Amino acid sequence: MDFQGIHDRLRAVRAPGLLGVDEPRAAVPGAKHGETKDAGRGGDPFVLIDPQRIVEFLHVCRDEDRLRFELLVDLTATDPKAEEPNLWINLNLLSVERRQRLAVKALLPKSALSMPSSTPIYRAAQWHERECAEMYGITFVGHPDPRHILLPDDWIGYPLRKDYVFPKEYHGISCE
Amino acid sequence: MATQIEDRSKSEEESRTLPTGEKEFFLDVHTSDLEVNFGPQHPATHGVMRILMRADGELITGAQPHLGYLHRCAEKIGESVEWLQYLPYTDRYDYLAAMNNNLGYSMAVEALMPGLVIPRRAEMIRTICAELNRIGSHLIAFGTYGLDIGAFTPFFYAFREREWMMALFEKICGARLTYSYIRIGGVFNDAPPGWLEEVARFCDVFEEKWKEYVDLLVMNQIFVKRTANVGVIPREMALDFGLTGPMLRGSGVDFDLRRDLPYSLYGEMLRDKAFDVIVGKGEKGTLGDCWDRTWCRVFEMMESIKIVRWCLERIEPGPVLGDIPKVLRIPPGEAYVGIENPRGELGHYVVSDGGKVGVRVRVRGPSFTNVAVLEELLPGALIADAIAIIGSTDVVIGETDR
Repeated sequence: MDFQGIHDRLRAVRAPGLLGVDEPRAAVPGAKHGETKDAGRGGDPFVLIDPQRIVEFLHVCRDEDRLRFELLVDLTATDPKAEEPNLWINLNLLSVERRQRLAVKALLPKSALSMPSSTPIYRAAQWHERECAEMYGITFVGHPDPRHILLPDDWIGYPLRKDYVFPKEYHGISCE
Repeated sequence: MATQIEDRSKSEEESRTLPTGEKEFFLDVHTSDLEVNFGPQHPATHGVMRILMRADGELITGAQPHLGYLHRCAEKIGESVEWLQYLPYTDRYDYLAAMNNNLGYSMAVEALMPGLVIPRRAEMIRTICAELNRIGSHLIAFGTYGLDIGAFTPFFYAFREREWMMALFEKICGARLTYSYIRIGGVFNDAPPGWLEEVARFCDVFEEKWKEYVDLLVMNQIFVKRTANVGVIPREMALDFGLTGPMLRGSGVDFDLRRDLPYSLYGEMLRDKAFDVIVGKGEKGTLGDCWDRTWCRVFEMMESIKIVRWCLERIEPGPVLGDIPKVLRIPPGEAYVGIENPRGELGHYVVSDGGKVGVRVRVRGPSFTNVAVLEELLPGALIADAIAIIGSTDVVIGETDR
């Protein structure tokens, strides 16, 4: 199924938390560089969802007969800009049976970085969420093992946030 | 190992009455659980991974992989350097399949450049290089796996052919491991004269040598005994953990990105039925055991040879690099491109805001998810099988830690 078909199916089964869709669009001729309105965007289409209802949404994606996204390929976050109020949560689902992909995006406000963990649906999410949590400071409620994964346990700050300040030293080792 | 002997003679259940009427008490020997640090400096971890194992005698009761010893902040670097400058960093996550990493990153950035046309010769050379690198990577996987569990000879056989493969890459780009050869818009330069003929010769020789691997290791009775029915990953578990590549196909899931979501020239090859997808059948034991995964890798090498030959038959002279400006500004957008690496799906998620530097370069390394399954797979196995199970995941730590 193509993206339109998947989106129609999600609408038809009333997938919980589904907010909308964002498709790539060509730039409006004459639009100035840096203009976010009408600036166009390339790449993949994706569906937008409510991060607080992600578990119910993924449940439908995995078990609905015509979607069958058995595999969670990727779960990550993006900090688009330091002054942007939201972080993006990006998921990528893959269906082995139906041979299709779906990109999912959720906007999580930086003021309240907390959302449910997807581990009850996909255990693949466990390590991805641990990485996401240490890099962006997101709390995944219900995560069975919320420890750091790549960074040392005593690391301060969230390195992939755009407002991250590089440390001057680490345990007496100068970083300058 | 610390042992403690508990005196349980007082308890009634631990005794029995002998025919003479006397009571016999058992003195049961209980061993306490032992925590074993496997790694980070252990040759069988293929890098620097530490697994904290809890063992009750010879039985593993818990396993906890610890990563991060090789974390080099690849994703943070991706947000700090220009698009083209990031290419050499891609070589360094899965250093055994650097061509495939270059290809994955380049394709992700190209997905954001709608007008860009990749010359056909460039696509051909890309495919040849990616498949040759897949052979090289599987040779390491197969050679070192034998080494891990005690077969020394196949390792040298594997490195003999890999040496030639690396010499071929040295001729085309000057580097033996970190190529940075496939780049945004095509490939860096054209193949030198006589290179394609040498690749054809390599294919012929490799086909003969490959039969030796199957006899020497894969069908070897000792090897089969060590790996069959060990570390079984059922189909549902493989999907749940998001495994990809030979790990997934070894569990009997018939899925390969090259066939099922084709990219580059693979769609065209599919019409010609140029290659098959190797799926585990559980021939020597249970479906999804260590033997099946190794079998998939070894037989995939021959499929790669078929793909290379398909390209060699059709390659024609022409340009090898598309129209790429010196300073690359990528139009705004976001794209996820996943390609079939030797270890599974290598995904790049790139976000651009129209500038010279990326907003986000996310790398989804296949080893990262493939290693996660060890948490589930090791408990219940024997200490002696731990090496066989870890080796069969074919982990590259450069990629789990990035």
